[in-house]
Amino acid sequence: MRILAIDTTASPVSVALLKDGFLEGEFFLNIKTTHSQTLMPLVENILRLTGISAEDVDLFAVNAGPGSFTGVRIGVSSVKGMTFASDKPCAAVSTLEAMAYSMPYRNGIVCAVMDARCSQVYNALFRLDEGNVERITEDRALSIDELKNELEYYEEDQIYLTGDGADICFKSFGDSLPSLVLTPMNIRYQHAYGTAMAAMRMADENKLCTSDELMPIYLRIPQAERELQEAERELQAKKRNNDGNANC
Amino acid sequence: MGKKTNLQTFYSQSEQQTEQIAEKLAHTLQGTEMIAMFGGLGAGKTAFTRGLARGLGIDDGVSSPTFALVHEYEGRYMLYHFDMYRIGSYDDLYSTGFFDYQGQGVMIIEWSENIEPFLPEERINITIKRISDNEREIIIEGAEKL
Repeated sequence: MRILAIDTTASPVSVALLKDGFLEGEFFLNIKTTHSQTLMPLVENILRLTGISAEDVDLFAVNAGPGSFTGVRIGVSSVKGMTFASDKPCAAVSTLEAMAYSMPYRNGIVCAVMDARCSQVYNALFRLDEGNVERITEDRALSIDELKNELEYYEEDQIYLTGDGADICFKSFGDSLPSLVLTPMNIRYQHAYGTAMAAMRMADENKLCTSDELMPIYLRIPQAERELQEAERELQAKKRNNDGNANC
Repeated sequence: MGKKTNLQTFYSQSEQQTEQIAEKLAHTLQGTEMIAMFGGLGAGKTAFTRGLARGLGIDDGVSSPTFALVHEYEGRYMLYHFDMYRIGSYDDLYSTGFFDYQGQGVMIIEWSENIEPFLPEERINITIKRISDNEREIIIEGAEKL
């Protein structure tokens, strides 16, 4: 089975081509490019340079979120377009799961974190065991402090901190969790290779979807939502006070 | 980066003067600042943005992005002009691409009141207060000296 996988969920963009788990080609850029301008040239070039045609691809895999609003939409709609034309199946991969699949060569816990702004991170935990990736938590948005508290539970294991939120987390609680290690730069960010590996498993588990069914995965930020509602209430109260003063 | 002064207060007697103050602010920018504007309807936020755009070498007509939510202008730096008037939830804000624009250019935001908890600490605040029909007090916080 040949997989074309792409990722545009955050600042990097990457494209990978795999045949039965063998990595035939991969492009990765991380210089704040505009993905809408770089993604398709990367797809076109990986096919051209490997001499493989789009018809030879059996499965199109994409990191469908969490991630940046614009980035996720660029990736998902590109794959939607390609599979709409070819009628091939799609895999909507969790960006965090793709990160875990970039590194199942040791045993321990993968803590995949993406910076969601407002002191929040998108996160999921996975257990790596003899080459297997097992999900421990759902993808969720939580505060850095909440994540730290949860990780204390896994102190006995080596914890691999990875993703574009790894740095801020490591700075925040790296000192208090000795079993925490930062992943090296070559696997720190989400890569389309991990997307393809996660998609292979999804294919085994019959979790693929059609072009029509492919949708972005967005996570809500509960704390941010509460703060905004409070701000809204304060603002309304202020407006009422101002109106009151004007009437006096 | 030059030294930042905390508070600078200006008095404007006309829309033209408001634009001139904004134009001066534009000349102090490094290219990735977030400028959060506070002030109600008719305060002169769009006039301020027009002046800022001119200061960045943008001559296109600047209009309020009330419907499009964000307008993009290309000048000495990219300028992203947001209007948060209709933003009422985190999901709304997220789907404007607000977080994706951060660090990509200068961002100037009307109705910052609506998204205050999500503004980064590192930013410039502009508060425009109406004194009379034509007169405005403009308080600039966190910018270099104009």
